[in-house]
Amino acid sequence: MSELALILAIFLLANLLVALLRVTRRPTPADRMLAALLFGTTGVALLLLLAYAEDAPVLVDIALTLALLGAVIGVAFVQRGWNQEREEENGRS
Amino acid sequence: MDVPELLSNILFLIGSVFFLAGTIGLLRFPDVYTRLHALAKVDNLGLGFTVLGLLIQAPGVLPALKLILIWLLALLASATANFLIAQRAFNRGIVPWDASESEK
Amino acid sequence: MILGAILWRSVLLAMLWCILAEGNVGSWGVGAISTALALAASLAVLPVGAIRFSPLGLVFFLIYFISKSFRAGVRVALLAVQPRLDIHPGIETVSLRLPNGVGRVILINTINLLPGTLVLGLNASTLQLHVLDMRSSIEGEIRIAEKRIAKMLGLSLDQS
Repeated sequence: MSELALILAIFLLANLLVALLRVTRRPTPADRMLAALLFGTTGVALLLLLAYAEDAPVLVDIALTLALLGAVIGVAFVQRGWNQEREEENGRS
Repeated sequence: MDVPELLSNILFLIGSVFFLAGTIGLLRFPDVYTRLHALAKVDNLGLGFTVLGLLIQAPGVLPALKLILIWLLALLASATANFLIAQRAFNRGIVPWDASESEK
Repeated sequence: MILGAILWRSVLLAMLWCILAEGNVGSWGVGAISTALALAASLAVLPVGAIRFSPLGLVFFLIYFISKSFRAGVRVALLAVQPRLDIHPGIETVSLRLPNGVGRVILINTINLLPGTLVLGLNASTLQLHVLDMRSSIEGEIRIAEKRIAKMLGLSLDQS
């Protein structure tokens, strides 16, 4: 019964959307960076469930890439966010 | 429905419950640090259960090992991002929320 | 000794490639190059002889990590869903006993992955942690994690 996996995949997608909407409306950049973490876990689980439900093993490779990128995205977000904010501060002072 | 299928469906459901709890925590917790707790850790557990459920259904040893590899990578990514976000927020002087303060 | 370590790493990395390619023989050309590059990177990042890795220690560490993250994860999940938000977060400072290097990196990542604890910063001898629930002692937990990691990597703890 892969129907359940499909339903849960859709449920995870809803989770991801709600959390993303909420995170992007938060005031601090640190909060917005939580979005990167979301894709690393919820996104990967969503893809893995889909791969199983739809019998599409290629999605497993996409999940792998997403997990791999997760670490890079986290670092890149922190680096970029940090620098941009510093520039903003300099502009203000 | 045979036993392995039932077992992995149960594991999928447990995983989803953790994801739901993580999302609820993300919506309810008061500051960036507590939200990190909810998001990264509880979600990791959700992913763990999902992978466990898929392992039962894996068509062979290599695909199963690949699933474990994905889980390990996701853990590593989440630990790294967690550390960087928390450290950065703290260095920038974002003060953690305190229960006693909010009650005043 | 050094040759043995290099051989071990090569075998592990080749196995990793095998997993990624799902045993696809046609991709071994790319795999050989990738394995060689990964070996070079691993030697640059973690020189041979820096740690004495113990497979048994790894097993113990994994058992500890999985059971601990499950129990703590359930607790944090319950904190998140219970009707009245009952969290008592705070900052705690804990001394570090692992030597500088890969052991500390693993400790920090472990703490970050275990639900309820978050590393805010570290210096030469202390860790600053954000704890979700200050009502339970966290220092004991850190000591246990340290011990497991030290055992896995063949490191000695600073007793001071």
